[in-house]
Amino acid sequence: MFKNYLKITWRNLLKNKSFTAINIAGLAVGMASAALILFWVQNEISYDQFHEKKDRLYQMYNQSVFDGKLWSWGTTPKPMTPALKQNYPQVEEATRVSGADFLFTLGDKHLNLRGDFTDPDFLTMFSFPLVKGDAKTALNSMKNIVITQKTAKKLFGNDEAMGKTIRIDSVDYFTVTGIMKDLPNNTQFDFEYIIPWSYWEKLNGGPDNNWGNNSVQTYITLKKGVSESKFDKQVKNITRSHSDIKDIDVFVHPATKWRLYSKFENGKIAGGRIETIKLFSIIAGFILLIACINFMNLSTARSEKRAKEVGIRKVVGAGKSSLIAQFLGESILIAILAGIVALIIVQLSLPGFNTLTDKHLFMPFGSFSFWLIVVSFILFTGLLSGSYPALYLSSFLPVKVLKGTFKAAHTSISPRKVLVVTQFTFAIVLIISTIIVKEQLDYAQQRDIGYKKDNLVYTMIVGDIEKNYSLIRNELISSGVATAVSKTSAPITQGWSDSWDFSWPGKNQNEKIDFNVFNTDGSFTQTMGLKIIKGRDLDVKTYPTDSLAILLNEAAVKIMGFKDPVGQIVTRGDNKLKVVGVVKDFILQSPYEPVKAMIIQGPKSWFNVVHFKLNNKNTTAQNLKLAEAVFKKYNPEYPFEYHFIDEEYARKFQDEQRTGVLASLFAGLTIFISCLGLFGLATYMAQNRIKEIGVRKVLGASVLSITSMLSKDFLKLVAISFIVATPIAWYGMHSWLQGYSYRVNITVWVFAIAAFLTTLLSIVTVSFQAIKAALANPVKSLRSE
Amino acid sequence: MIKITNLEKFYRTEEVETIALNKLSMEVNTGEFVAIMGPSGCGKSTLLNILGMLDDPDEGSYVFNGVEIAHFNERKRADLRKHNIGFVFQSFNLIDELTVFENVELPLIYTGVSSSERVKRVEEVLDKMQIMHRRNHYPQQLSGGQQQRVAIARAVVNKPKLILADEPTGNLDSSNGNDVMELLTDLNEQGTTIIMVTHSEHDARYSHRIIRLLDGQTVMENIMV
Repeated sequence: MFKNYLKITWRNLLKNKSFTAINIAGLAVGMASAALILFWVQNEISYDQFHEKKDRLYQMYNQSVFDGKLWSWGTTPKPMTPALKQNYPQVEEATRVSGADFLFTLGDKHLNLRGDFTDPDFLTMFSFPLVKGDAKTALNSMKNIVITQKTAKKLFGNDEAMGKTIRIDSVDYFTVTGIMKDLPNNTQFDFEYIIPWSYWEKLNGGPDNNWGNNSVQTYITLKKGVSESKFDKQVKNITRSHSDIKDIDVFVHPATKWRLYSKFENGKIAGGRIETIKLFSIIAGFILLIACINFMNLSTARSEKRAKEVGIRKVVGAGKSSLIAQFLGESILIAILAGIVALIIVQLSLPGFNTLTDKHLFMPFGSFSFWLIVVSFILFTGLLSGSYPALYLSSFLPVKVLKGTFKAAHTSISPRKVLVVTQFTFAIVLIISTIIVKEQLDYAQQRDIGYKKDNLVYTMIVGDIEKNYSLIRNELISSGVATAVSKTSAPITQGWSDSWDFSWPGKNQNEKIDFNVFNTDGSFTQTMGLKIIKGRDLDVKTYPTDSLAILLNEAAVKIMGFKDPVGQIVTRGDNKLKVVGVVKDFILQSPYEPVKAMIIQGPKSWFNVVHFKLNNKNTTAQNLKLAEAVFKKYNPEYPFEYHFIDEEYARKFQDEQRTGVLASLFAGLTIFISCLGLFGLATYMAQNRIKEIGVRKVLGASVLSITSMLSKDFLKLVAISFIVATPIAWYGMHSWLQGYSYRVNITVWVFAIAAFLTTLLSIVTVSFQAIKAALANPVKSLRSE
Repeated sequence: MIKITNLEKFYRTEEVETIALNKLSMEVNTGEFVAIMGPSGCGKSTLLNILGMLDDPDEGSYVFNGVEIAHFNERKRADLRKHNIGFVFQSFNLIDELTVFENVELPLIYTGVSSSERVKRVEEVLDKMQIMHRRNHYPQQLSGGQQQRVAIARAVVNKPKLILADEPTGNLDSSNGNDVMELLTDLNEQGTTIIMVTHSEHDARYSHRIIRLLDGQTVMENIMV
């Protein structure tokens, strides 16, 4: 019986090549898209779930009230780790994690590598296995270092790395005491090496006991059997009991929720990436459903051809169930063929998809469970797409179909029409969403950023740059490379520091107000192209007292309530800071948010970055070459690495750009699959009505009137889809835009464009077949009876 | 073998109700060859469909081999049908995508006959119908007469007790038509009961008895000599 089914299926597929192609292409594209999305989803939900101790692994979180709202955040004071280990017997292990950026020197090889400072427990808490070395002891001594396999390869090539010595930042020599298996593609950690916390303390002149400086991540494992809620109560007051800070609560965030549930509102978990995961899963499901709908529509549209076969089979003894089995078998066979094509599509598009989503996904061909999932996925698709046609086709009554007068029912709301409306509704929702995402992106990109980002470059302060800064600055200007140079605490595109430790005359002392903090040694407004609204720039040469002066931005002036800000005194700790000027608001962080209050401190502070404005009298290449020579001269050990601010700024739109590209990709695929199905349906419609068309032509109908008659039915469905899609799309995009303070309004035009596009595409799809049918010679079609 | 009593069948559309069978009663004994005649729309095909268990009556009784089946559900009817009844149609009704061999094999597949047994029985019957040389051809490659012989081969391959033929010669020329009638007569002589609907007096003469229908009722019965 099975062989017989397979045979007739195969012959059917070969006989109707164009429909087989449409079916397989549609299903394959649908399956491939769904598979790619599910790959992504799988990767997201598996983030950091491979740690053996994940059920008792936690990150410490702070919680406090700002501006009347309860905020939660995951950076913690450095002394928390030793306090947890000493005073909390429930805690088994604890570690700090903080970024490290060092120049590695090995012979004449110099490499800038990114790593993490951690406590020794790190290696036994997380399941990042060492291929060489002992996790229990590898970080026990200050001059030990654990490197990943990739780093080992970078530094030592194929030579043995274990036990070798590496020089770090021209000062210290480290011994490699562990080689770590490369990090998997589903962890939030991203380091090339880890070095002991004790080295951080050495660099910074001893342990940092400041409970007010939230600058590292703290992770712990609890002993077996300790409950999270109980421990939360016990650890809540850790900051209060170790310092005079009275307004911070501490709690733990479990490893199982790090990736997907990292958004807090009023102290409670309020989702996070899980929302994107859900949205993408729904989209994957819909794309697959749309592909399956094509199959359903084409199969049932062809039912008149299959009806006779069904009738005969029933007459000679086939039961309904065996016919259902036969038709399901057919759809599964098509799903298998489509699945093979889909695997090829996925394999070919993974590199592009990885770039787009910033991931390292791959198909694990060697894994049994992978193939199990592939087979289940194919079976599922086959059953989903075959179910309705199987029920529909197997229910034909032989008495009716064998008479030769059989016509499939033409009811006013046929399931087929509902299915087409479903497809196009989804496609139109995606088109509208794509347009709105793009509009929002354009809107934010056109926002006035408040400074001049062209020709603005920065480089990190490393090695001898700090020591030789004045020389470097003078030479950059005297050689004509730069028109202005400014030393700052962070790149102008990033906020690295914020503080609520400021007070000023008239401040409500019970209220905590947080400011972005930026430091500069001078020439700040000149270098960045900022506008001074009141007062003047910081200038320690002309005004020696400016080492303790500050600038405010407009937002800060407003929040502090100064009528006449210049000359006001703002207190931070023991320092009295004098306001000497006000700068126009500029975008430091998100281009979608209002500019936050900001305090720009003078030279008596810390610096990480040198910004310089390139002289536009030279070409950029000339400038960079000269600049490199200057930096090499004063900082010979380090490679000259620079970043253009305009490129950095563009990166702020990466997420939205990615959303835009993904949305348009999904919209394009959905429209493609839907139109493929529409094309198939139109073909059958034209075939079924060939006699009617013949009669109409004989009676004098024009080609145009026949074409429009044939197209009209389909356009009606598209119109209904549009009506269904509009409120869904509006609601969805309205909610999406709520996430942005600086956002576009949804206009009628968006819907008009989507309607126009969809109508155009469906007219092109349908009219091809309609015109072909209308142009056919009626003599032929009428004779064929 | 067959006894129907007061059988009624109506067809309803939104406005009109048509009576296809009107309290029809008749009996067919095992081994008989019965022809059913009558003008278009007299209910011949409806009767044949009910006898063949493809359709169920609205009223009345249908006893097949001593079992009342008028109210059997589709599944029970299908089960009884596939073991007892073979069909021959005017338009042959072969499956275009299957070869001659595969078409004839189909009933055996649904009654669960083993593969080797199927080959034996299909070859036997193809041989008997003299179309063995065409076993690997598709229906479109055959003449009408050959197609009908394939259809008859398919109807008899399961050795049914009853063959229902709906104008079996209607699409054939007279020489092919006569061949088909000879085949049916042979089968009848070997013990198969045959009920045939026909328009042709010529064909009807092959039968033992002619039942004439008009407006869903029996109007006359001729016993052939």
